[in-house]
Amino acid sequence: MRDETSTALLVLQGIKKNYGAVRALQGVDFDLRAGEVHALLGENGAGKSTLINIITGARSPDAGTLTLAGRPLGALSPALARSLGIACVHQQPALFAELTVAENIGLRLEAGGAWRRVDWRRRAAQAAELLQRVGAEFSADRTVRELSMPEQQLVEIACVLGAGSRIVIMDEPTASLTRREQEKLYEIVRSLRAVGTGVVYISHRLEEIRVLADRVTVLRDGVSVGTSAVGEVTEPELIKLMVGREVSLTQRAAGATPGAVRLAVKNLSCIAGGVRDVTFEIRAGEIFGLAGLVGAGRTELARTLFGLTPADAGRLQVDGRDIAIRSPGEAIAAGLAYVPEDRRRHGVILEMPIAQNMTLAVHSRLFPGGWLRAGPELSVAAKFIGDLSIKVAGPDAPGASLSGGNQQKVALARWLATKPRVLILDEPTQGVDVGAKGEIHRIIRRLAADGLAVLLISSDLPEVLALSDRLGVMRGGTLTASLPGDSDPHTVMAAALGQPS
Amino acid sequence: MSTTDHQSGWKNILLRYETLLLAVLVVEWLFFYHYGTTTNRRGVFVGFGTLDRQFDILRHSCEIGLLALALTPVILTAGIDLSVGSLLGLCAILFGKLWRDGGLTIPVAAALTLVAGALGGGLNAGLITVLRLPPLIVTLGTYSLFRGLAEAITHGAVTYTDFPASFLFLGQERWLGLPTQAWLFLPVAAAVWLLVHGTATGRSLRAIGFSPEGARYAGLPVERRVALVYVLSGFIAAVAALIYTARLGQAKADAGTGYELFAITAVVLGGTSIFGGRGSVTGTLLGVAAIAVLKSGLATLPVVIRLNAAEEMSGMLTGALLLLALTGSILPKILSTLRARRQAG
Repeated sequence: MRDETSTALLVLQGIKKNYGAVRALQGVDFDLRAGEVHALLGENGAGKSTLINIITGARSPDAGTLTLAGRPLGALSPALARSLGIACVHQQPALFAELTVAENIGLRLEAGGAWRRVDWRRRAAQAAELLQRVGAEFSADRTVRELSMPEQQLVEIACVLGAGSRIVIMDEPTASLTRREQEKLYEIVRSLRAVGTGVVYISHRLEEIRVLADRVTVLRDGVSVGTSAVGEVTEPELIKLMVGREVSLTQRAAGATPGAVRLAVKNLSCIAGGVRDVTFEIRAGEIFGLAGLVGAGRTELARTLFGLTPADAGRLQVDGRDIAIRSPGEAIAAGLAYVPEDRRRHGVILEMPIAQNMTLAVHSRLFPGGWLRAGPELSVAAKFIGDLSIKVAGPDAPGASLSGGNQQKVALARWLATKPRVLILDEPTQGVDVGAKGEIHRIIRRLAADGLAVLLISSDLPEVLALSDRLGVMRGGTLTASLPGDSDPHTVMAAALGQPS
Repeated sequence: MSTTDHQSGWKNILLRYETLLLAVLVVEWLFFYHYGTTTNRRGVFVGFGTLDRQFDILRHSCEIGLLALALTPVILTAGIDLSVGSLLGLCAILFGKLWRDGGLTIPVAAALTLVAGALGGGLNAGLITVLRLPPLIVTLGTYSLFRGLAEAITHGAVTYTDFPASFLFLGQERWLGLPTQAWLFLPVAAAVWLLVHGTATGRSLRAIGFSPEGARYAGLPVERRVALVYVLSGFIAAVAALIYTARLGQAKADAGTGYELFAITAVVLGGTSIFGGRGSVTGTLLGVAAIAVLKSGLATLPVVIRLNAAEEMSGMLTGALLLLALTGSILPKILSTLRARRQAG
């Protein structure tokens, strides 16, 4: 295969890497050609991050070879990798929050040296040019702290563009982007490809791989299980490769007959939270999906309902009874439960054992008189570890030791333990691998079937459409459309964008 | 009393930081027992090894011990209370004034002093939870405020003395074999232990220490819990003030100066993380004991007596002990990192 090696920009062969007893990579073969977008797929824990770290020189492999443009690479360091033209856009932007965009870009791109003088005008011009190329609509003088997560990601991408890298790795770049920003990103990726850059593209979204990538490699349990051209493989086949079994993703549940109205929200507003005049109701056994762009006010609505930013106008009824919610404690007492969007900061307390995480919201019921009791706590933990099939060393394992999907299940378990009447789920499968996503979907359906009223917030449109019985679309802090669950995705997207469909 | 905050198994117990600290304490004690105990010319056993000296250590560690107990829940929430030493001083003065100038009986004056301590802690609590000011700044402020008030009340000159013998009994005598104040210290220690390790409240303090936002999202009453630890801290500082006054037989505006730092040292030496979440009351008690034994033991070493350097030595060695213990506590982490690096390299 002379032909292939001559165009191969980067070739990895038989890469192995262990962390102590954990065998992260057990023989990965991967090659990247100049001018291609090569998608890397795999469940969380399949070894994608380790592979990125090896390509960027952050970790050295235990075995295997790296070849860059036909030249074998010895020990790679991050600095060496950078000088060879390898750049990475990380999932979490690693920028200096207190510095301006231009300063951040300058720090990445300009040569170092303690006494080097800064040419401010050139730096500003360069930053402005790069921002324009990535389609950013903010000024280079803005402080990074003021930028939203997607905007920060654009700055990261601007840095990569400015570095003129030969190899660009993108780790779930669209996870927090809106549809329009995604389109812009696709354009950037395509323009990189056009100038002969090799792009390693990591994503959980299969539909995006289909439109963007040329080839796709699937990693499972630290082994590369297959590489093929995107056109030659179907989505079910890819999913099967990733999880080693078939998972149904977009299958709609048979419409169950919903019960009485559980949650009724009338003209709810919270000025500080940016929620304006929201009215809807959810029946028992019903999943009410909430679609909309990032920043449309969906999380803000959830925070208002849960008392984190209490409402200043409107009415709230649970099971026909008027209630006022001024704090999360009152929300819990009223039968509401909220699994938040940011599971690492809000959903679980990473340092705490998972048993303690699960019982955090049911102290008063589990510990009468306030005295801790190990028995009831462990039985709650055992019940949910079993019910939700959480993969964990034991109830004493700290939350941080779990994978994203299992952390999400712990967050869910905490709220199911409260035996809620209304469950608010905010991006329940964000950053969760395909296998766990399917499981979480099944759990949500089962909960609704058991009579829970579910408010499902998700930016994953296929997910909202697959799960919801009815759905609402939010824009600018208010509910702009109410649609049936079997709506067409284009209709929903048009409503979210505020365009007539 | 069962609790899941403790890991079981002999291996876990052996690897616990408290076990390490206990070993240090035992070695330290045996060292002073060996080098600090002598027989004088009349053939009487003197120095560190005497029972009197042990009771003396206990007596002297009660006040700092109480402040360290007060600080443990505070530090568990990732807070700090620098005002406890000053509040001790203010409470001692208030007690003296209420009794002598106010003409109140000792029990009434003592009860009012305890209320004043809780109110002082309440001031910290209010500033921290209502105005959301950082605990370090708030208590740095009240640290000066409380001491300043104590000095203003006494014009920096008045000393309250001549307390009745029945009150001095609390600080200077023994009851049922132990120094009397130990009978006040032990129930406070037990109560704080139960609060931290045995109650849902203690559990929520840890959650708040690890992640205040995470605790809020879990529906825990974060502000109320945080307020509680500062009020409790003030209350315990007032208890310490009564014991202090009874031990010295006088109340002066400078009572308890610098005690807050000794207490914080004991808590941190006891393994409680200054970043919140992790820590134990047992550790705090061992930390207090390690510092008290060191301080008292040094004064019995012949070489230290000859150099007349007990104060200086105890300061230096307390600092060294703290740094050593902290290094020791992260040693397993360092070793495992090195091992991982060797395997990788």
